[in-house]
Amino acid sequence: MNWHEEYRKKYKELKEKGVPFFPDVVLLDTIAACLVFALLVYLAAFHPPHLEGLADPTDTNYTPRPEWYFLFLFQALKFFPGSMEAVAAIILPGALLGVLFLVPFLDRGPERHPFDRPLWTGLGIFGLCVYAGLTWAASKSPLANPAEEKRPDVIAGKRLYAQLSCAYCHQIKNEGGRVGPALDRLSDATTDEWLSKHLRDPQAGTPGSRMPKMNLLDDEVSALTAYIRSYNPNDPFTPAAPKLFAENCSACHRIRGEGGDLAPDLSEIGAMRDKAHIQKYIQDPAQFNPDSTMPAYKGQLKDHEIEDLSRYLARQRRR
Amino acid sequence: MSAVYLWLCERAGIDKIWETLFARKVPHAKGPAAWLYTLGSATLMIFTIQFITGALLAMSYAPSPDHAYDSVRFIDDHVLLGRLVHGLHHWGATFMVVLTALHMMRTYFMGAYKYPRELTWMVGVGLFLLVLGFSFTGYLLPWDQKAYWATVVGGNIAGQTPVFGPYISKIRLGGEDMGAATLTRFYAIHVLVLPALIAGAIGVHLFLVIWNGISETPKRAGKQVAP
Repeated sequence: MNWHEEYRKKYKELKEKGVPFFPDVVLLDTIAACLVFALLVYLAAFHPPHLEGLADPTDTNYTPRPEWYFLFLFQALKFFPGSMEAVAAIILPGALLGVLFLVPFLDRGPERHPFDRPLWTGLGIFGLCVYAGLTWAASKSPLANPAEEKRPDVIAGKRLYAQLSCAYCHQIKNEGGRVGPALDRLSDATTDEWLSKHLRDPQAGTPGSRMPKMNLLDDEVSALTAYIRSYNPNDPFTPAAPKLFAENCSACHRIRGEGGDLAPDLSEIGAMRDKAHIQKYIQDPAQFNPDSTMPAYKGQLKDHEIEDLSRYLARQRRR
Repeated sequence: MSAVYLWLCERAGIDKIWETLFARKVPHAKGPAAWLYTLGSATLMIFTIQFITGALLAMSYAPSPDHAYDSVRFIDDHVLLGRLVHGLHHWGATFMVVLTALHMMRTYFMGAYKYPRELTWMVGVGLFLLVLGFSFTGYLLPWDQKAYWATVVGGNIAGQTPVFGPYISKIRLGGEDMGAATLTRFYAIHVLVLPALIAGAIGVHLFLVIWNGISETPKRAGKQVAP
């Protein structure tokens, strides 16, 4: 290791010819820190973190997605199915980390310029390309859980629904008891006022109802109403909506036997997706499914037409 | 003023500290390359932000499955500037990972990990792992769907480790399955264990940076010694 001595000597010379840390370097550091901080404040103020629904351990349909910088690992897992998963999940990343940790002892010559170390520079660039490629491939795969802001009162209602064991008698999405009516297919005549009154005192509005009176607080009543309403949209659509569907959608989509079969049948779409989601999907399908061949209708149709169409579609369900 | 200064010099050696930390000379990095040397201090700045915003969030956060989600909503909707502080901490986490990675890339491609800075590099790799640990444990704390299920998958990945897998996931989850014990455990790791470790490691890292001096910008030197 005879170059060590020489390096120390040359570094000492460079340092003597160098600049003082304060203010020269500190100035640059401060400018960079301010720029980074400004970007951070901008993102925090204008793109606040998005809180999804409360963790639901029973929701087995949820497809997890990690932070974007861990996406590559999810993608890598796909190449090593079954019992080989440990290779992609633990052994390869572990080995890479080991190499990274021990790099100073593997690459120990005096050369420092990247062009003087083609092997290590090449490996580094190769690694970055693999990382970028895996992340890109993972980001292309469809978002099974579209980022949707659920309304707080709907979330609160869902929790009350579980706490009060409503599912003991009522069904939602075919889960629950059959003593009372299914709550995801109420008649269009059911108003919010009727629901609130019924929740406060079931026997008052419906004599002979077997539903117990639960002495709910006002905000509990409105949360439960909002939750039940989320399964029973009653936003009115105009008579133009079915025509819009016939002109723009029915070449590929079908509702109750009418329309094409190039794309999914939408007769039951209201039971699967709420209006807000349908609206976003019509505007730009690629944000939920990058491989979709459906065109984006934002700009093609007017905003109020998309709104109308979404309300119409959200009502499509069996009753 | 100068009497106070002299008093402090005599008792705390602040003149010596100033000389060692700030008046020291460093090799002159010319041109745009000089900006690459700001990544480390920018990371340190973001870490400070994370520490402050983290402390503020902890004042209103409740680490139990019954209250975690509501307390985060409470922070967002009712605490003064809560949404901004939450946003800073949330984006700060991403910045930590990105800046640490960029700082490592600078060091890697400039060969700055070579003699005599091998130890600085190894502590640095450790710091990167700690940052990822912060990210992973912090992701669970809002206790929403995304947080819960990403941690379930992360746990399954750790459980794949040959031989030790089952023990690792049991220690991590605080039992066989994810639940209240997992959340409190992640919270304790996030706000007590990792900060203590990272504070120590940052101290060692900075000490080594000053002890060995900031690396010079490499020049093409063929087989000669680099500087």
